Amino acid sequence: MLIPRKVKHRKQHHPKRTGMAKGGTRVNFGEYGIQAVEASYVTNRQIEAARIAMTRHIKRGGKVWINIFPDRPLTKKPAETRMGSGKGSPEWWIANVKPGRVMFELSGVPEPIAREALRRAMHKLPMKCKFVKREVGEG
Amino acid sequence: MSEVRIAAEPRTEFGKGAARRTRRAGKVPAVLYGHGTDPQHISLPGHDLMLALKTPNVLLRVEGLSGGGSELALPKGVQRDPIKGFLEHIDLLLVKSGEKVVVEIPIELSGEIAPGGMLDQQLVQVAIEAEATHIPQQIEISIEGLEVGAQISAAELTLPSGTELSTDPEALVLHVVPERTAEQLEAELAEATGEAEAAEAPAEAAEAEGEAAEAAEGGEAASGEQE
Repeated sequence: MLIPRKVKHRKQHHPKRTGMAKGGTRVNFGEYGIQAVEASYVTNRQIEAARIAMTRHIKRGGKVWINIFPDRPLTKKPAETRMGSGKGSPEWWIANVKPGRVMFELSGVPEPIAREALRRAMHKLPMKCKFVKREVGEG
Repeated sequence: MSEVRIAAEPRTEFGKGAARRTRRAGKVPAVLYGHGTDPQHISLPGHDLMLALKTPNVLLRVEGLSGGGSELALPKGVQRDPIKGFLEHIDLLLVKSGEKVVVEIPIELSGEIAPGGMLDQQLVQVAIEAEATHIPQQIEISIEGLEVGAQISAAELTLPSGTELSTDPEALVLHVVPERTAEQLEAELAEATGEAEAAEAPAEAAEAEGEAAEAAEGGEAASGEQE
Protein backbone atom coordinates (compact mmCIF):
# COMPACT_ATOMS: atom_id res chain seq x y z
CA MET A 1 0.00 0.00 0.00
CA LEU A 2 1.34 3.46 -0.86
CA ILE A 3 2.38 5.51 2.17
CA PRO A 4 5.06 8.22 2.64
CA ARG A 5 8.28 7.04 4.28
CA LYS A 6 8.75 10.22 6.29
CA VAL A 7 6.63 13.32 6.79
CA LYS A 8 7.55 16.78 8.01
CA HIS A 9 4.25 17.29 9.82
CA ARG A 10 2.21 14.36 11.07
CA LYS A 11 -1.13 16.18 10.98
CA GLN A 12 -2.07 18.61 8.25
CA HIS A 13 -5.01 20.78 7.30
CA HIS A 14 -7.48 19.40 4.78
CA PRO A 15 -6.26 20.10 1.22
CA LYS A 16 -8.27 22.44 -1.02
CA ARG A 17 -10.66 20.72 -3.42
CA THR A 18 -11.19 23.65 -5.79
CA GLY A 19 -9.68 24.18 -9.23
CA MET A 20 -8.52 21.96 -12.02
CA ALA A 21 -5.43 19.78 -12.38
CA LYS A 22 -2.44 21.88 -13.40
CA GLY A 23 -0.39 19.05 -14.87
CA GLY A 24 -0.56 15.34 -15.49
CA THR A 25 -3.65 15.78 -17.65
CA ARG A 26 -2.45 13.67 -20.56
CA VAL A 27 -1.47 10.04 -20.98
CA ASN A 28 2.32 10.12 -20.96
CA PHE A 29 3.68 6.68 -20.16
CA GLY A 30 1.13 4.11 -21.31
CA GLU A 31 -1.44 3.93 -24.10
CA TYR A 32 -4.65 4.23 -22.08
CA GLY A 33 -5.55 5.92 -18.83
CA ILE A 34 -8.17 6.88 -16.27
CA GLN A 35 -8.85 10.61 -16.03
CA ALA A 36 -10.66 12.19 -13.09
CA VAL A 37 -13.72 14.26 -14.06
CA GLU A 38 -14.47 15.44 -10.51
CA ALA A 39 -12.31 16.50 -7.58
CA SER A 40 -11.93 14.01 -4.78
CA TYR A 41 -9.63 12.65 -2.11
CA VAL A 42 -8.35 9.21 -3.15
CA THR A 43 -7.08 7.03 -0.30
CA ASN A 44 -4.17 4.64 -0.60
CA ARG A 45 -6.59 1.74 -0.18
CA GLN A 46 -8.67 2.90 -3.12
CA ILE A 47 -5.53 3.24 -5.23
CA GLU A 48 -4.47 -0.27 -4.27
CA ALA A 49 -7.93 -1.70 -4.90
CA ALA A 50 -8.01 -0.10 -8.36
CA ARG A 51 -4.55 -1.41 -9.16
CA ILE A 52 -5.47 -4.95 -8.09
CA ALA A 53 -8.72 -4.86 -10.09
CA MET A 54 -6.81 -3.76 -13.16
CA THR A 55 -3.98 -6.29 -12.73
CA ARG A 56 -6.44 -9.17 -12.19
CA HIS A 57 -8.20 -8.38 -15.45
CA ILE A 58 -5.15 -7.89 -17.66
CA LYS A 59 -3.65 -11.05 -16.14
CA ARG A 60 -0.10 -11.58 -17.33
CA GLY A 61 0.33 -8.99 -20.04
CA GLY A 62 0.41 -5.25 -19.73
CA LYS A 63 2.08 -2.66 -17.57
CA VAL A 64 0.40 -0.34 -15.08
CA TRP A 65 1.50 3.13 -13.97
CA ILE A 66 0.10 4.94 -10.93
CA ASN A 67 0.51 8.69 -11.39
CA ILE A 68 -0.86 9.82 -8.03
CA PHE A 69 0.62 9.40 -4.57
CA PRO A 70 -1.26 9.61 -1.26
CA ASP A 71 0.99 12.11 0.51
CA ARG A 72 -1.59 13.97 2.63
CA PRO A 73 -2.69 12.65 6.04
CA LEU A 74 -6.30 13.00 7.20
CA THR A 75 -7.10 12.70 10.87
CA LYS A 76 -10.13 11.40 12.76
CA LYS A 77 -11.29 11.76 16.33
CA PRO A 78 -12.29 8.51 18.03
CA ALA A 79 -16.01 7.72 18.32
CA GLU A 80 -17.97 9.07 21.29
CA THR A 81 -15.30 11.60 22.20
CA ARG A 82 -16.11 15.06 23.47
CA MET A 83 -15.03 17.99 21.33
CA GLY A 84 -11.71 19.65 22.09
CA SER A 85 -8.51 18.11 23.45
CA GLY A 86 -6.65 18.56 20.22
CA LYS A 87 -6.65 17.20 16.71
CA GLY A 88 -7.44 13.52 16.18
CA SER A 89 -4.95 10.90 15.13
CA PRO A 90 -3.95 10.29 11.48
CA GLU A 91 -6.39 7.83 9.96
CA TRP A 92 -6.03 7.96 6.17
CA TRP A 93 -3.45 8.85 3.57
CA ILE A 94 -4.96 10.57 0.58
CA ALA A 95 -4.05 12.01 -2.80
CA ASN A 96 -5.85 15.27 -3.57
CA VAL A 97 -7.07 14.70 -7.12
CA LYS A 98 -8.43 17.56 -9.22
CA PRO A 99 -10.52 17.25 -12.40
CA GLY A 100 -8.44 16.44 -15.46
CA ARG A 101 -5.79 14.42 -13.68
CA VAL A 102 -4.74 11.14 -15.32
CA MET A 103 -4.44 8.81 -12.32
CA PHE A 104 -3.63 5.42 -13.84
CA GLU A 105 -2.07 4.41 -17.12
CA LEU A 106 -1.94 1.09 -18.84
CA SER A 107 -0.10 -0.32 -21.86
CA GLY A 108 0.71 -3.60 -23.56
CA VAL A 109 -2.85 -4.92 -23.91
CA PRO A 110 -5.45 -4.62 -26.70
CA GLU A 111 -7.92 -1.77 -26.34
CA PRO A 112 -11.02 -3.84 -25.43
CA ILE A 113 -9.12 -5.48 -22.55
CA ALA A 114 -7.70 -2.14 -21.45
CA ARG A 115 -11.18 -0.57 -21.47
CA GLU A 116 -12.63 -3.35 -19.35
CA ALA A 117 -9.66 -3.34 -16.92
CA LEU A 118 -9.88 0.40 -16.46
CA ARG A 119 -13.68 0.26 -16.11
CA ARG A 120 -13.25 -2.20 -13.24
CA ALA A 121 -10.62 0.06 -11.68
CA MET A 122 -12.93 3.10 -11.99
CA HIS A 123 -15.49 1.32 -9.78
CA LYS A 124 -12.93 1.35 -6.96
CA LEU A 125 -12.43 5.10 -7.15
CA PRO A 126 -14.53 7.70 -5.37
CA MET A 127 -15.15 10.08 -8.26
CA LYS A 128 -16.51 10.11 -11.81
CA CYS A 129 -13.77 9.14 -14.21
CA LYS A 130 -13.33 8.59 -17.90
CA PHE A 131 -11.24 6.42 -20.18
CA VAL A 132 -8.62 8.32 -22.17
CA LYS A 133 -6.15 7.37 -24.88
CA ARG A 134 -2.73 8.71 -25.64
CA GLU A 135 -2.52 11.56 -28.15
CA VAL A 136 0.70 12.07 -30.05
CA GLY A 137 2.09 14.61 -32.47
CA GLU A 138 0.75 17.78 -30.87
CA GLY A 139 3.19 20.48 -29.94
CA MET B 1 3.32 16.91 -46.39
CA SER B 2 0.77 19.28 -47.88
CA GLU B 3 0.02 22.53 -46.12
CA VAL B 4 -3.35 23.45 -44.63
CA ARG B 5 -4.67 26.93 -45.33
CA ILE B 6 -6.22 28.70 -42.39
CA ALA B 7 -7.64 32.23 -42.19
CA ALA B 8 -6.42 34.36 -39.31
CA GLU B 9 -7.82 37.56 -37.87
CA PRO B 10 -5.60 39.97 -35.95
CA ARG B 11 -6.43 40.30 -32.25
CA THR B 12 -6.58 43.80 -30.85
CA GLU B 13 -7.80 43.17 -27.31
CA PHE B 14 -6.01 40.96 -24.81
CA GLY B 15 -6.53 39.38 -21.41
CA LYS B 16 -8.83 36.66 -20.16
CA GLY B 17 -12.08 38.56 -20.89
CA ALA B 18 -11.15 39.13 -24.52
CA ALA B 19 -9.83 35.58 -24.87
CA ARG B 20 -13.13 34.19 -23.54
CA ARG B 21 -15.11 36.36 -25.94
CA THR B 22 -12.96 35.01 -28.79
CA ARG B 23 -13.61 31.42 -27.69
CA ARG B 24 -17.37 32.06 -27.37
CA ALA B 25 -17.31 33.21 -30.99
CA GLY B 26 -15.94 29.81 -32.01
CA LYS B 27 -12.38 31.03 -32.50
CA VAL B 28 -9.11 30.16 -30.84
CA PRO B 29 -6.65 32.81 -29.62
CA ALA B 30 -3.20 32.20 -31.06
CA VAL B 31 0.22 33.76 -31.22
CA LEU B 32 2.63 33.58 -34.15
CA TYR B 33 6.35 34.10 -33.60
CA GLY B 34 9.79 33.09 -34.81
CA HIS B 35 12.82 34.24 -36.80
CA GLY B 36 13.34 37.19 -34.44
CA THR B 37 10.15 38.93 -35.52
CA ASP B 38 7.66 40.54 -33.16
CA PRO B 39 4.94 38.17 -31.99
CA GLN B 40 1.63 38.55 -33.84
CA HIS B 41 -1.57 37.98 -31.86
CA ILE B 42 -4.24 36.38 -34.00
CA SER B 43 -7.41 34.34 -33.70
CA LEU B 44 -8.09 31.25 -35.79
CA PRO B 45 -11.34 29.44 -36.65
CA GLY B 46 -11.81 26.75 -33.98
CA HIS B 47 -13.31 23.96 -36.07
CA ASP B 48 -10.84 24.28 -38.96
CA LEU B 49 -7.93 24.36 -36.54
CA MET B 50 -9.22 21.31 -34.67
CA LEU B 51 -9.44 19.36 -37.95
CA ALA B 52 -5.98 20.54 -39.03
CA LEU B 53 -4.40 19.45 -35.74
CA LYS B 54 -5.55 15.88 -36.26
CA THR B 55 -2.44 15.51 -38.45
CA PRO B 56 0.71 15.42 -36.32
CA ASN B 57 3.07 18.37 -36.98
CA VAL B 58 0.71 19.86 -39.55
CA LEU B 59 2.14 22.65 -41.70
CA LEU B 60 -0.23 25.61 -41.60
CA ARG B 61 -0.43 28.40 -44.17
CA VAL B 62 -1.72 31.28 -42.04
CA GLU B 63 -3.50 33.83 -44.21
CA GLY B 64 -4.93 37.26 -43.49
CA LEU B 65 -2.10 38.55 -41.30
CA SER B 66 -1.76 42.26 -40.50
CA GLY B 67 0.68 42.86 -43.39
CA GLY B 68 -1.79 41.26 -45.77
CA GLY B 69 0.50 38.34 -46.49
CA SER B 70 0.57 34.73 -45.47
CA GLU B 71 3.13 32.75 -43.50
CA LEU B 72 4.01 29.10 -42.99
CA ALA B 73 3.86 27.94 -39.38
CA LEU B 74 4.09 24.80 -37.27
CA PRO B 75 2.13 24.24 -34.06
CA LYS B 76 4.59 24.71 -31.21
CA GLY B 77 2.36 24.54 -28.14
CA VAL B 78 -1.29 23.49 -28.01
CA GLN B 79 -3.32 24.20 -24.89
CA ARG B 80 -6.51 22.22 -24.48
CA ASP B 81 -9.17 22.04 -21.81
CA PRO B 82 -8.08 18.98 -19.81
CA ILE B 83 -11.57 17.44 -19.67
CA LYS B 84 -13.56 18.66 -22.65
CA GLY B 85 -10.52 18.73 -24.92
CA PHE B 86 -11.45 21.90 -26.83
CA LEU B 87 -8.67 24.20 -27.94
CA GLU B 88 -7.88 27.10 -25.61
CA HIS B 89 -4.79 28.58 -27.20
CA ILE B 90 -2.14 27.73 -29.72
CA ASP B 91 1.45 28.89 -30.24
CA LEU B 92 2.56 28.87 -33.87
CA LEU B 93 6.19 28.91 -34.90
CA LEU B 94 7.10 30.66 -38.15
CA VAL B 95 9.02 28.50 -40.59
CA LYS B 96 10.35 29.04 -44.09
CA SER B 97 10.20 26.67 -47.00
CA GLY B 98 13.37 24.56 -46.97
CA GLU B 99 14.23 25.42 -43.37
CA LYS B 100 15.25 22.54 -41.12
CA VAL B 101 13.24 22.11 -37.93
CA VAL B 102 13.36 19.66 -35.02
CA VAL B 103 10.01 17.97 -34.41
CA GLU B 104 8.68 15.00 -32.48
CA ILE B 105 7.39 12.25 -34.79
CA PRO B 106 5.10 9.49 -33.53
CA ILE B 107 6.34 5.90 -33.76
CA GLU B 108 3.92 3.44 -35.33
CA LEU B 109 4.28 -0.26 -34.59
CA SER B 110 3.25 -3.02 -36.96
CA GLY B 111 3.09 -6.78 -36.48
CA GLU B 112 2.96 -8.97 -33.39
CA ILE B 113 5.78 -10.04 -31.10
CA ALA B 114 6.54 -13.72 -30.47
CA PRO B 115 4.34 -15.39 -27.85
CA GLY B 116 5.66 -15.43 -24.27
CA GLY B 117 6.93 -11.87 -24.40
CA MET B 118 5.51 -8.50 -23.41
CA LEU B 119 6.32 -5.36 -25.36
CA ASP B 120 7.64 -2.46 -23.31
CA GLN B 121 7.69 0.69 -25.44
CA GLN B 122 9.83 3.36 -23.84
CA LEU B 123 9.59 6.03 -26.55
CA VAL B 124 6.34 6.82 -28.34
CA GLN B 125 7.74 9.83 -30.19
CA VAL B 126 11.20 10.52 -31.46
CA ALA B 127 12.81 13.89 -32.21
CA ILE B 128 14.09 14.27 -35.75
CA GLU B 129 15.43 17.10 -37.86
CA ALA B 130 13.59 17.52 -41.13
CA GLU B 131 12.69 20.15 -43.70
CA ALA B 132 9.67 22.09 -42.50
CA THR B 133 7.81 21.36 -45.72
CA HIS B 134 8.68 17.64 -45.73
CA ILE B 135 7.96 16.42 -42.23
CA PRO B 136 7.13 12.70 -42.17
CA GLN B 137 3.85 11.84 -40.43
CA GLN B 138 5.21 8.80 -38.58
CA ILE B 139 8.06 6.33 -38.33
CA GLU B 140 7.10 2.70 -38.74
CA ILE B 141 8.76 -0.12 -36.87
CA SER B 142 8.00 -3.76 -37.54
CA ILE B 143 7.96 -5.81 -34.35
CA GLU B 144 6.88 -8.99 -36.09
CA GLY B 145 8.28 -12.03 -34.30
CA LEU B 146 10.50 -10.16 -31.83
CA GLU B 147 11.69 -12.58 -29.15
CA VAL B 148 12.12 -11.98 -25.43
CA GLY B 149 15.24 -9.87 -24.84
CA ALA B 150 15.13 -8.18 -28.24
CA GLN B 151 15.43 -4.42 -28.20
CA ILE B 152 15.38 -1.55 -30.66
CA SER B 153 17.30 1.66 -30.02
CA ALA B 154 16.81 5.04 -31.69
CA ALA B 155 19.85 4.49 -33.93
CA GLU B 156 18.19 1.38 -35.42
CA LEU B 157 15.15 3.28 -36.68
CA THR B 158 14.71 3.55 -40.43
CA LEU B 159 14.22 7.26 -40.98
CA PRO B 160 12.65 8.68 -44.14
CA SER B 161 15.10 10.28 -46.57
CA GLY B 162 16.07 13.87 -45.81
CA THR B 163 15.65 13.46 -42.06
CA GLU B 164 18.20 13.07 -39.29
CA LEU B 165 17.86 11.72 -35.80
CA SER B 166 17.93 14.48 -33.23
CA THR B 167 17.67 12.38 -30.10
CA ASP B 168 20.26 10.22 -28.33
CA PRO B 169 21.01 7.29 -30.70
CA GLU B 170 21.49 5.01 -27.69
CA ALA B 171 18.00 5.78 -26.38
CA LEU B 172 15.89 2.65 -26.01
CA VAL B 173 12.74 2.76 -28.11
CA LEU B 174 11.27 -0.60 -27.16
CA HIS B 175 12.24 -3.97 -25.79
CA VAL B 176 10.54 -7.28 -25.21
CA VAL B 177 10.40 -8.51 -21.62
CA PRO B 178 9.22 -11.95 -20.46
CA GLU B 179 5.52 -12.20 -19.68
CA ARG B 180 4.63 -12.62 -16.02
CA THR B 181 3.85 -16.20 -15.10
CA ALA B 182 0.58 -17.09 -13.37
CA GLU B 183 2.54 -17.79 -10.15
CA GLN B 184 4.24 -14.38 -10.26
CA LEU B 185 0.89 -12.69 -10.75
CA GLU B 186 -0.66 -14.60 -7.84
CA ALA B 187 2.34 -13.83 -5.62
CA GLU B 188 2.12 -10.13 -6.47
CA LEU B 189 -1.60 -9.97 -5.72
CA ALA B 190 -1.17 -11.98 -2.50
CA GLU B 191 1.64 -9.64 -1.44
CA ALA B 192 -0.56 -6.61 -2.11
CA THR B 193 -3.39 -8.10 -0.02
CA GLY B 194 -0.92 -9.01 2.77
CA GLU B 195 0.47 -5.47 2.81
CA ALA B 196 -3.02 -4.03 3.06
CA GLU B 197 -3.81 -6.24 6.05
CA ALA B 198 -0.47 -5.44 7.69
CA ALA B 199 -1.07 -1.72 7.26
CA GLU B 200 -4.55 -2.07 8.72
CA ALA B 201 -3.31 -3.74 11.93
CA PRO B 202 -1.00 -0.94 13.21
CA ALA B 203 -3.60 1.65 12.27
CA GLU B 204 -6.17 -0.15 14.41
CA ALA B 205 -3.68 -0.49 17.28
CA ALA B 206 -2.87 3.21 17.12
CA GLU B 207 -6.58 3.99 17.04
CA ALA B 208 -7.18 1.84 20.15
CA GLU B 209 -4.33 3.63 21.95
CA GLY B 210 -5.70 6.96 20.91
CA GLU B 211 -9.17 6.00 22.15
CA ALA B 212 -7.79 4.92 25.54
CA ALA B 213 -5.91 8.18 25.91
CA GLU B 214 -8.98 10.18 24.88
CA ALA B 215 -11.16 8.24 27.32
CA ALA B 216 -8.72 8.92 30.15
CA GLU B 217 -8.65 12.61 29.26
CA GLY B 218 -12.44 12.64 28.96
CA GLY B 219 -12.78 11.01 32.38
CA GLU B 220 -10.49 13.59 33.95
CA ALA B 221 -12.38 16.39 32.29
CA ALA B 222 -15.72 14.96 33.50
CA SER B 223 -14.44 14.66 37.07
CA GLY B 224 -13.16 18.24 36.81
CA GLU B 225 -16.60 19.40 35.68
CA GLN B 226 -18.29 17.65 38.62
CA GLU B 227 -15.95 19.37 41.04
